[in-house]
Amino acid sequence: MIFESHLLSMVVYAFFTALVLAFIRRRESKARLRYGLFVFLIMVGGALLFGWFMYLFTL
Amino acid sequence: MKTKAVVAPLLGWIVPGLGHFVQKKYLRGIIFFVSISAMTAMGLAMGGKIYPFYIEKPETIFQVFTNLLKKENPLTLLAFFADLGNLLVYLASRVLHFGQGALERMTFEFGTAYIAGASLLNYLVALDAHDIAVGKKK
Repeated sequence: MIFESHLLSMVVYAFFTALVLAFIRRRESKARLRYGLFVFLIMVGGALLFGWFMYLFTL
Repeated sequence: MKTKAVVAPLLGWIVPGLGHFVQKKYLRGIIFFVSISAMTAMGLAMGGKIYPFYIEKPETIFQVFTNLLKKENPLTLLAFFADLGNLLVYLASRVLHFGQGALERMTFEFGTAYIAGASLLNYLVALDAHDIAVGKKK
């Protein structure tokens, strides 16, 4: 069974989404790289932050 | 309106990246095809579900609307419209009966999200192909 790790699933999902969005939204290579990295980090970082925020409700 | 402006997004809707490919945007076409197909394939391998359009058979006209809310989860209608974004995969899943969803697997939810996410991205890709065809983008 692939991707039993939710974290890995999320990272791979964010990677492909960031890649596609970068190629849709930007035309130059450098701008694509910057935008793709930004989207990727926002998705992964946002999910991790929100995950820890939800953890507070279990305390 | 140019024929290309209609054909390119339609082709892109059916097969991810094909709308770019026919406009000689080969790199983008390949990247879109590989990314969206990979996400869909991984979603299916994880046991994700491709939601069909399904409501209970209405007996009165009023029930056409109330049945939309009566289904076990009306949000599955939204999932149907999301999954429709990858038209070829959606149609193939209906004919070949894959993507039925393996609820017992722990990866079911993620798999379903992968499939829906890939299909929603394909809507954006098809719109991008339209923008290129009408000259709004290069």
